[in-house]
Amino acid sequence: MPPMSKRNTPTDKLAALADCMSRIANERDKAAFAELFDHYAPQIRAYSLARDPGSDLVADDLVQEVMTRVWLKASKYNARLANLNTWIFTLARNCRIDYLRRNSRYATEIDPTDIFNDMEDEGPGPFRLAQQDRTGDSIKAGLEALPREQSDILRKVYLEGKTHQQTSEELKLPLGTVKSRVRLALKKLEVLVVR
Amino acid sequence: MDKANNHPYDELLAAYAAGSLPLSQALCVSAHLEHCVACGQKLQNLNRVGSQLMQQLKPAAASQQLKQRLLDSLDDLTDAASQREASKVDPAVPRCLRQFIDHNYDDLPWKRVSADIHSVELCRDSNGAKVELLKIKPGGSATTHTHLGDEYTVILEGSFSDEAGLYRQGDFMVKTAADRHTPVATKDRVCICLAVTEGPIQFTGFISRLLNPFIRRSYA
Repeated sequence: MPPMSKRNTPTDKLAALADCMSRIANERDKAAFAELFDHYAPQIRAYSLARDPGSDLVADDLVQEVMTRVWLKASKYNARLANLNTWIFTLARNCRIDYLRRNSRYATEIDPTDIFNDMEDEGPGPFRLAQQDRTGDSIKAGLEALPREQSDILRKVYLEGKTHQQTSEELKLPLGTVKSRVRLALKKLEVLVVR
Repeated sequence: MDKANNHPYDELLAAYAAGSLPLSQALCVSAHLEHCVACGQKLQNLNRVGSQLMQQLKPAAASQQLKQRLLDSLDDLTDAASQREASKVDPAVPRCLRQFIDHNYDDLPWKRVSADIHSVELCRDSNGAKVELLKIKPGGSATTHTHLGDEYTVILEGSFSDEAGLYRQGDFMVKTAADRHTPVATKDRVCICLAVTEGPIQFTGFISRLLNPFIRRSYA
């Protein structure tokens, strides 16, 4: 019997997914695209449903937008400069901002494309690479160790897309308490220490 | 790069990374990031927090029809973004502001606010916040003022000082309704700022207080 596949660790999985990106970039490989879809589409739908529970059509639209950008921007993705999971998150975030702006009751003339496109088109730049691997696992462990009241607020802000004001209204907490919990959580995650 | 001494506070940068910041405030953060490597590094970590939170969600299965529809569409896709014309805007203008500026700061329809200040409104946010550029002449002073809401400011060109200190290119400030301040541009050059105000500015000097009803009206 062959030894157990090493493809089971998150790092190997990520490497396999990054390989799909280069196959799309170099060979327009649709099988590689399908593999990325199988991995990321359920995550992207979950992200959309966290903000709009029950809105399956909105969730499908977001998957379509994000995966379309994956296909078009694969050649700009550089695995040495940006973690693929993080890159996908920023795409999903950017597409959601764009969707909300287009479908908002209150119109604004501000086009978010040029505000948030740093990761999409250029990656984070080489100076940010060195600390990536150090912070990846520590963020994961840190999130698991956070007190519930702090991780709940991070989820409201990041996943449900709530402003601090909306979070304060929903949780019936003073605005200052919301802000200080976000600050405390980020401090514990050690994501604000720049070396 | 890295001239800025005043940065967005951490929870504001996190809200930017999360995409939950009003776009007008996001414009200010984005303009600051062009001048600040340190905040760029923080942002990268804050994006990773979002990525981890997204991965912790219970996956919501996608249908085969959606997958097939996407696969069928791939051959017809073209990247509109890559076909955009190369920007003709002065590279000194932050990228996030080029959507409002055709060439450079000089060509904008500046309006006189006082002997020392000109302003030009760029747009409004969906929450009603006003996004504008302010130009203070060398050595010029912005009359002492307070705000009804928060005011976000990023220095794009030049520098100014107020009661709290000196602010230079890239510096990011938030003044709340309780703050009164009197910014004065340094004497050597014009100071241009991006300013986002959530409510009308209130001038507090005796004469300029008479202006307030007119200023409030422009927010109607």
